[in-house]
Amino acid sequence: MSRLHDLQRDFAGFVFGDSSRVPAGIVANGIAPERRMAVYRNNTQTGLSQALRDTYPVINRLVGAGFFDRLARAYIGKYPPAAACLLEFGADFAELIAGFAAAASLPYLADVARLEWLYHRAYHAAESPVPALTTLRDFNQVDCGELTAKLHPSVGLLESDYPLLPIWLSNQADYLGDPHVNLDAGGCRLLVFRPQWDVEIRPLALAEYHCLAALAGGTGLTAAVGAALACDPDFAVESWLLAGLCSGLLADIVLL
Amino acid sequence: MAQSRNTLSFGAVNASIPAAAGIGLRSPHYRDALHSPAKPAWLEVHSENYFAAGGPALRMLESLRRDYPLSLHGVGMSLGSVVAPDGRHLRQLQQLIERVEPALVSEHLSWSAFGGRYLNDLAPIAYTESALAAWVRRVAQVQDFLGRPILLENPSSYLQFDYADYSEAEFLSQLARRSGCGLLLDVNNLYVSCRNHGWDTLDYLLALDAGCVAEFHLAGHRRNRIGADVILIDSHDGPVAEPVWQLFRMVLQLFGNRPTLIEWDADLPDWHTLIGQAARADRYMEQNYVQAA
Repeated sequence: MSRLHDLQRDFAGFVFGDSSRVPAGIVANGIAPERRMAVYRNNTQTGLSQALRDTYPVINRLVGAGFFDRLARAYIGKYPPAAACLLEFGADFAELIAGFAAAASLPYLADVARLEWLYHRAYHAAESPVPALTTLRDFNQVDCGELTAKLHPSVGLLESDYPLLPIWLSNQADYLGDPHVNLDAGGCRLLVFRPQWDVEIRPLALAEYHCLAALAGGTGLTAAVGAALACDPDFAVESWLLAGLCSGLLADIVLL
Repeated sequence: MAQSRNTLSFGAVNASIPAAAGIGLRSPHYRDALHSPAKPAWLEVHSENYFAAGGPALRMLESLRRDYPLSLHGVGMSLGSVVAPDGRHLRQLQQLIERVEPALVSEHLSWSAFGGRYLNDLAPIAYTESALAAWVRRVAQVQDFLGRPILLENPSSYLQFDYADYSEAEFLSQLARRSGCGLLLDVNNLYVSCRNHGWDTLDYLLALDAGCVAEFHLAGHRRNRIGADVILIDSHDGPVAEPVWQLFRMVLQLFGNRPTLIEWDADLPDWHTLIGQAARADRYMEQNYVQAA
């Protein structure tokens, strides 16, 4: 292979910590090549740790900066960035946390990370125009079984055994309420959604959660509504659809 | 061919960014940039921070674009990698360019990806004959794809290679002449690299092709002790250092005034501190203009 290839292989290997071999041909000039390479390793590690901290501020508050740095180092080693755009970096942080032995005493931590990633994704998701509903307009006789609802691009759904919303809220920088969260308060089902400028996190009832989860999974409208009605026979289908279309949560009604 | 492209480019491209001080905009200052009566002449942002499909940050940038000329500064194209720049990255940049119509688009003389892993840093180039040929090809490809010339910035570096054929300044000038790209002279990087490697700043500046230099950057750096030695780190976490201001005055005398950016990326100060740094850069450019007249 070429000298350029070997240089970049050894450089990247050193920076990500999988090898201590320094690239050939570095001028010492008073400072050993290892020390010079350590500057680059430090740049990458601190820069990527900070990027993770920016995406996961609640995790950082919950575990403290020192422990967060340990999580970040492990994460960078296992899931290094696969693109230059760091908006995509950090998607698997919850997986890393779930398997991180030293974090086992905080069993809710991985779910908090899942919530923060959904928030981050929703923040940067595409806008959605007002529902066109052309399918309903253009077809006089539509078989309801052939229809489905497209969800807004920012939508994320999360089910957890822990009270994530109070944990998330009480760790916001501007929170002034009671800092104590009762971890035995029970689980939750949450919707993360950005109607316009601000990302919203809403608790969902079981029926609505199953309806949205079915739609997110590509199920038709009839089956999704059926799933909701199976949980709650009083689920108000019509008003739910109308509210969803008005808020933009349902981005359109289209053929399956 | 390269020559005609070179002469055609920067007058036109630079038309909407004046030879005055701009500020590198980071998200905590969005409101100030929109509403403060103290406004810099132009703004620069990191391209990759706006590669999202949508969302408030992108919409904010579109709003600011109505009030300011804009420059897109990339940190991740990795032109110096073994493999060609990522096609998706180039398409995302192209979409952003169409969306915000920047007056300048710039990148770095560095690489940042190997084997699918991104370093999130500007790694150094060995300035060899074969590297120059590869860079000329790559830059031409990117400029053809984007349909416009780009500027390339001299990096801060903490090591150099013993098999280089060119000095950094010679390499940059050759690259600019042969590819038709422009140069973004980061005065802080120049200072940092010269101090770290014992290069002479005046030699460096005299080897640069003045006609290709289209923008200046100014930023803060940090001094790190390594045993008995000191290494300067391009940290962007403080005000521009005094020796860098002095070097900037020399640069202005040699090259004339250009759009000059204040970059501050970590431990962000308030908006007025940034405006103060920009005002100082403007003052030096005004003095230089008077002297030259």
